[in-house]
Amino acid sequence: MDPAHLIPSPDPISVPWGWFQFFLILTFVLHLLFMNTMLGTGIIAFVSHLKGPKHKSSLTTDISKKLPYTIAFTVNMGVAPLLFMQVIYGHFFYVSSVLMAVYWISIIPLLLTAYYSAYIYDFKHEALGSARALFIGVTVLILLFTGFLFTNNLTLMLHPEAWKEYFQKPGGTLLNLSDPTLIPRYLHFVTASIALGGLFIALLARFNIRKGIEEKSDRIDTGMQWFCYATMAQLVIGLWFLISLPSHIMILFMGGRPLHSVVFAAGVAGVMLSLFFGFKKLLLPTAVSLIGTVIFMVIMRDLVRKAYLEPYFSLSSLKVIPQFSPLILFIICFVAGLAIVGFVLRLAMKSGKGV
Amino acid sequence: MNYPVWWIPSVGGGLLIAIISIVHVYVAHFAVGGGLFLVITEMKAYREDSKDILAYTKRHTRFFLLLTMVFGSITGVGIWFIISLVHPSATSVLIHSFVFGWATEWVFFVGEIVALFVYFYTFGRMDRRNHLLIGWFYFIFAWLSLFVINGIVAFMLTPGAWPVSGNFWEGFFNPTFLPSLFFRTLLAFMFAGIFGLLTSSFLKDRALRETMMRYCARWLLGPVILMPVFSYWYLNSITDSSKSMILGRSPEIIPFFTFFIWMMPVLFLGGLIISIRMPSVIKRSFAVVFVFMGLLYMGSFEWIREAARRPYVIYGYMYSNSVLKSEIDDINREGLLRKAKWVKNRDLTDSNTRDAGREIFNIQCLPCHTVGGLMNDILPITDKFTLFGMDSMLNGIGTINDYMPPFMGTTNERKALASYIVNELHKKAEEKEPIMKLPQLPTIIPSFDDEKDEYVLLAWNDLGMHCITDSDKYFSILPPGNTIYAQLIRRGELPEVVLEGVDLSYKVEPGFERPSGHVPFWKFAESLFGRAIQPDTGLAGKGMSGSMNFREAHSVFTAELIPVVPYGADGSYNPYPLFTIEAQDKNTGKLLAKTRCVAPASTQLGCKTCHGGSWRIKGVAGLSNETAMDILSVHDRMSTTNLLESAVRGKLMLCQTCHADPAINAEGKPGVLNFSAAMHGLHANYLTGRGDEACNSCHPSHPNGRSRCFRGVHAGMGLTCISCHGTLEDHALSLLLKEQEAGKPGAERLMRHLKPRLVDRKEDIKPRTPWMNEPDCLNCHVDFEAPEKGASGFNQWTKGPEDLYRLRADEAGILCQGCHGNTHAVYPAQNPYGKDRDVIQPMQYQKNPYPIGANKNCRVCHTVDMEDEMHHPNSLRMVRNRFVE
Repeated sequence: MDPAHLIPSPDPISVPWGWFQFFLILTFVLHLLFMNTMLGTGIIAFVSHLKGPKHKSSLTTDISKKLPYTIAFTVNMGVAPLLFMQVIYGHFFYVSSVLMAVYWISIIPLLLTAYYSAYIYDFKHEALGSARALFIGVTVLILLFTGFLFTNNLTLMLHPEAWKEYFQKPGGTLLNLSDPTLIPRYLHFVTASIALGGLFIALLARFNIRKGIEEKSDRIDTGMQWFCYATMAQLVIGLWFLISLPSHIMILFMGGRPLHSVVFAAGVAGVMLSLFFGFKKLLLPTAVSLIGTVIFMVIMRDLVRKAYLEPYFSLSSLKVIPQFSPLILFIICFVAGLAIVGFVLRLAMKSGKGV
Repeated sequence: MNYPVWWIPSVGGGLLIAIISIVHVYVAHFAVGGGLFLVITEMKAYREDSKDILAYTKRHTRFFLLLTMVFGSITGVGIWFIISLVHPSATSVLIHSFVFGWATEWVFFVGEIVALFVYFYTFGRMDRRNHLLIGWFYFIFAWLSLFVINGIVAFMLTPGAWPVSGNFWEGFFNPTFLPSLFFRTLLAFMFAGIFGLLTSSFLKDRALRETMMRYCARWLLGPVILMPVFSYWYLNSITDSSKSMILGRSPEIIPFFTFFIWMMPVLFLGGLIISIRMPSVIKRSFAVVFVFMGLLYMGSFEWIREAARRPYVIYGYMYSNSVLKSEIDDINREGLLRKAKWVKNRDLTDSNTRDAGREIFNIQCLPCHTVGGLMNDILPITDKFTLFGMDSMLNGIGTINDYMPPFMGTTNERKALASYIVNELHKKAEEKEPIMKLPQLPTIIPSFDDEKDEYVLLAWNDLGMHCITDSDKYFSILPPGNTIYAQLIRRGELPEVVLEGVDLSYKVEPGFERPSGHVPFWKFAESLFGRAIQPDTGLAGKGMSGSMNFREAHSVFTAELIPVVPYGADGSYNPYPLFTIEAQDKNTGKLLAKTRCVAPASTQLGCKTCHGGSWRIKGVAGLSNETAMDILSVHDRMSTTNLLESAVRGKLMLCQTCHADPAINAEGKPGVLNFSAAMHGLHANYLTGRGDEACNSCHPSHPNGRSRCFRGVHAGMGLTCISCHGTLEDHALSLLLKEQEAGKPGAERLMRHLKPRLVDRKEDIKPRTPWMNEPDCLNCHVDFEAPEKGASGFNQWTKGPEDLYRLRADEAGILCQGCHGNTHAVYPAQNPYGKDRDVIQPMQYQKNPYPIGANKNCRVCHTVDMEDEMHHPNSLRMVRNRFVE
């Protein structure tokens, strides 16, 4: 059976695909930053509890207070890229979702559990005592599993040749386990999360000192330690991920195509830079170079996706039936919405409660 | 079709969508109304300078945050997930068409989250004005979210001009946008009240609890009072088809709609009661009940809205099984298996029928039906079908009951699907229509002496077959009642039809004298006909033997409505019992002539093929109770009647009480389709594209059946029902067109999907009244000559009863049937129960099975050869069809 035959026909789009590509990358970067922070700080808190009760609780208290926010915004910021991705890659994504439907829909009850568990971890942080590890553990393990399912879906959609497995298992219980990139790709995200989680803890501590809430904090050191070790591990995992890619795709980033190679080089440069600043504990430069790295990595991820789908599909083949007015509405609402959000946050800052 | 189908037959995607959607939508509406509730309650606290109310507001905010932000947002994503798994194609259309609508809604979602976090975490720490401002921001963002999603959800029910233009704004600001927006906004306020009741019922301070609960009850009561107005507006904004679906055309919606209507006064009264002072335990339980009632109210509304969209998921554009309306013609032409992406059987072969049927099932049925699951279980509703019945049901699906999509695909694919359902899901063995071996009964031909006998007695049944519905316990269409005609001719060079001075009598053959021992007609006659009828006596007072009456209009003796049944005393089934007819001199009592004829009567009606049940007389014939009950329940469902229940209560009906029928002189009810139009019109929708097998599946004319009523020379020549009556579609249309002319509204519903086959356009079919306007013999036999090759009797009707074959006479006053035999058994006929059974008089008077006087045999009556064609043109000739030897 020719896998190309299984690919559904896509629906037409209303503005040229570049717009969706742009919004996809923009919002996915935001989602990743929140997601990394959420997962990373969660893992760090969980590990801290596992290390034992003698561990200082200010770190986990801090994390527990931020988790409800980071979860809320991870979900919220995930909606937008999921939307834009479905506009240009929906006919691949819906297929892979159906093939793993049981797992995919299980994300909803699982996330609810993780979310409420995080709220209990926050609201009852003091009262829970040793049960804290349990609640943050539930949250973290579920989030890790959710991430694993996302990695499965977003790679399965790239493999129409694996889809025919559906005819043996139509019940939505497929995963993309035979894909050699699956594990390194997944670990790549998790490791990045730990690094970003560490950096976030350090930044938060620095912010508190600036605000005069605390005088001195060892959480800057702890956070940056997590950041640096995780990022070093990331170099190895990243390399593993790279070489696990099909060689014709890997080669594109090793000089095969200029754009691919430049993006990859910029990403690598960014991570090196962030590591350099990280060791020096220069928080802001670390953060800036890390965000740069994330942006390049997201672009690179998109180039990988295009390369995978090249035999089957190119974005330029999408039919455009132009209608620009809804786009304009969105941009106006986006700008106005941001302005109001900014205003609300300013009011909150003034009242002394940061978000 | 475009996407793989998630195969969860015992659960059903629909149930998962319903569960996730209803709880989400409930909380999501609360998230809107509850936002306003927070600000207004906070203002109330400031106005009344009440720390307690303020503290309550803060606690309620925490509850609100945990419910709406956590549960609400995750289940919101959940709806998106589940619809993209169950309806990927529809999801894709919604995403692509409204991407910037969704994106805008996402901006509002960001605003909601930020505002709510800030509102909650700065409660009591921010100055009042700013805090309220943030609360207002939250509410506005939340309401704007509703505004956007409302547009897209309403779009699915009433896409307006979108399917043609594809314009975002036309789709978004669609006909139900406004009523739905108001309706949902009211719902949001109601739910704010309901959840307010819940949290305030937990207040410890009694006075505060009572105050707050009364306050919350007002949030509920206000919207409930306005609800009927907006429901009415909403209902009147949807298409007429959806509206009639809600108001009763779709029986599945009725309970939900009734519940929805009744919930309004119940919620109102509940709101009043809960405002009364009572102990906290009772109030708290009350509040919990309210939360559930709110959920049910929401659920019933959403259910009705979704069901009103049937058979579409996007009204008029995409069917609920994700096939585009515009794709159907292609699919029907090329085949579903060819057009679908996710099937492995691309071609139908003998070996893959069921597996291909399964794939067709997955694509077309599974989106709404489960197999053994909670929702829309396919098993109980298809249990009654035979393979033929299932195939016919699929054939007509989506036509009369248009809340389901039509079957999409080729005829063979339809059969494969039917086979999967009947043979695989129900594990029914493949049935093969048995070829009945019928007993050959002795036929004693009365004697006739060409030299000595002075009289020729011709006798016949007026119809080729009289069908009987022996399901009298539930309903009756056709009670027993055969009519025998006879004409006595005095032989001579100038023979004459004897009109007076003679007595004619009839008598059924032994074994058939007691029909009341076989059918329950007499037990229920009073209920059916309004008067008791003596057992073994017919509706016109005739018994199984007796004298005949003279009918002057046709110069014929008749015995009307003799209650003949095909069941013999020995337990045999014989649809052709014989009658002996005798003519005696009135004065002397001398026997002048004697003959025999069959009185055909059959109970072999094929209803059970599709309506379930078995033969009433096991393995033989007859309408069983099970079959009859199903027929009534289907009638009840399709025409919102209550026949089954009233029949069970003993009040049964003659179908013709409502449906006019010239066959039994029933006038019916004004505006209701006549019986033939209704029966043929309805069933034709389920039996399209077929030949006479469509006719044979209901009538006792099946060539392998027990009755084989089509047995005359035309059958022997290879003609079929269609040769004279047209295909079932043509036949039905001719009847329906007449009813449409008469202004009967039901005709259009049955005609809408019927396409004429023997002529090009519906308008080319000549409307006709059943039993009055029938195909005229002379359509084909122009000037009594042999028909031209390929002649068709269809679409040229007798003008009225006087032109009917069974009532028409020749120049000499002899009825056509007298010499040619009765309809459907025209001489030379071959009776399946004995070769001479239908040609007794030709054999008696001429020793051949041909029409009386055939082969220039004028001597039968004239006693000498004749030279003029006096009876009708072309009558003086040798017979053409000598195939019966």
